Amino acid sequence: MKRSLLVNPYVLVAPGFILAALIILWPLAEIANIAVHDVNRFGVLRGYVGLENFRVIFADPEFLGALRRTAIWVFGIVAGSILISIPVAMILNGDFYGRGLARVIIMLPWAISLTMTAIVWAWALNGESGMLNSGLRALGIIDRNVQWLAQASTAFPMQILIGILVTIPFTITIFLGGLSSIPDDLYEAAQLEGANGWQVFREITLPLLKPFVNIAVVMNTIYVFNSFPIIWVTTQGGPAKSTDILVTYLYKLGFQYGRLDDASALSILMFVLLLAFTLLYVRLAMREEKA
Amino acid sequence: MRMSRKMRRTVLSWIALAPLVIAVLFPFAVMILTALKPAGEVLRPTWVPSEFRWQNFITMWGATNFGTALWNSVYVATLSTIIALVAAIPAAYAMSRYRFAGKGAFQQFLLVSQMLSPIVLVIGLFRLVVWLGLVDSTNSVVIVYAAFGIAFSVWMLQSYFATIPRDLEEAAWIEGATPWQALVRVFLPLALPAMVVTALFTFINSWNEFVIALTMLRTQDSYTLPIQVFSLVAGRYTVEWHHVMAATFVATIPVAVIFAWLQRYLVRGLALGAVK
Repeated sequence: MKRSLLVNPYVLVAPGFILAALIILWPLAEIANIAVHDVNRFGVLRGYVGLENFRVIFADPEFLGALRRTAIWVFGIVAGSILISIPVAMILNGDFYGRGLARVIIMLPWAISLTMTAIVWAWALNGESGMLNSGLRALGIIDRNVQWLAQASTAFPMQILIGILVTIPFTITIFLGGLSSIPDDLYEAAQLEGANGWQVFREITLPLLKPFVNIAVVMNTIYVFNSFPIIWVTTQGGPAKSTDILVTYLYKLGFQYGRLDDASALSILMFVLLLAFTLLYVRLAMREEKA
Repeated sequence: MRMSRKMRRTVLSWIALAPLVIAVLFPFAVMILTALKPAGEVLRPTWVPSEFRWQNFITMWGATNFGTALWNSVYVATLSTIIALVAAIPAAYAMSRYRFAGKGAFQQFLLVSQMLSPIVLVIGLFRLVVWLGLVDSTNSVVIVYAAFGIAFSVWMLQSYFATIPRDLEEAAWIEGATPWQALVRVFLPLALPAMVVTALFTFINSWNEFVIALTMLRTQDSYTLPIQVFSLVAGRYTVEWHHVMAATFVATIPVAVIFAWLQRYLVRGLALGAVK
């Protein structure tokens, strides 16, 4: 009896699969169903409308704005965090006094929940009493208080910077793994050949790091695309909807505007996008395995 | 005197890292300094308080309803972790030990659910919770966290389990142990560290989650810590920032310490999972 249970993989997998499927597949099916129906604000399905909800979404200027900002959001954070992480990972990979401490400090943002990080930043960026303003004024960088979160021109860039800061630790960890896989004799050989630092970086480090960069790009793209708390906590998509990205726009559609049908159509669109990213990731990971 | 090579590299490294280190430490300084300011000084944009008010942490506890939220967070994170692990351990064992039809499909299902953040499913999840009659109950959040925790845990665990050589169990079988005995005596002791690490990460994920709690929990009695602290800030004209920062500090630091300590295991697990 015990033997057969233990040896039967389906019995072992079943509990986990059933619970996960109930919570993940059922809502997905529900959303797909709502997306092709007309739904009133109390969530009652009224009639099949085909792709009408998708048409409404694509005609909505708010959606187009959020889509454009999502592209900037994802590109800004992913590119920014990778550009900073490569040199920082190379420094942290070298031998110097206090390296352990430096690693701990730089990894810190990963350890804090995004919600709490965003709350602290919302306060630090406060226009009247925020410590960023007082710090920058003391250093003479600005001479008047900046209303960081109250104007579109500074709110969104600030949110992207916060996003970069919290994405760096994960990115660096991937790169540290990559750097430690590069054999030392390659560097020694390059030194014997008389290569300078830049040549070593371009000809050895960067090409060997490339698969890790690819993985970091895809995984960060997925995480950042899904990231909700930074924007919701600091501005809730304001001022005047100028910082809404797809996830915050989706939340507003569903829970503030009561447009469940349009929100479901948008969910499906985002699901398809995420699926595409995931497939890309799987292909990269598999190529990695073959290499 | 010339500096040694390592000394020179140390100076250069720290100079290069300085901007990032400052940017990372800045919010922590803001959090701690504000948490210790006397109430009257909070809105004054000075950096260092005139005196350190440690009592802020005590007054915060009552003023922010911290105890209830702390209990809710502990309850939600603990229960969802237990459910996730109980379901994930046998599944991960099967994934790492057996070939079976549908294994690939299950693996893909896990991968996709890992990539999906709950926000994309939030409309459907909310309807599910309404249907179950669990709106505003912490149990609604427990179920959702547990399910997403399963995907994550199976992924992490199977990559660790795969590194435990199968020969060890087979040797035990040959010596006459039943599969069950082999599992308990040979496999479980070796797998225990991986299980502990996975459990802690599942716990931290649940502890930090925001969107689902924001959607499902409607009254203060059921708020978890992130929602409770957020509710002290969102849509208020006057915010008691010293209390908010004190609450943020207490809610964050213990978990942050565990996380900082476990970080390297997470990356190893994810990396192993990625190439399996």
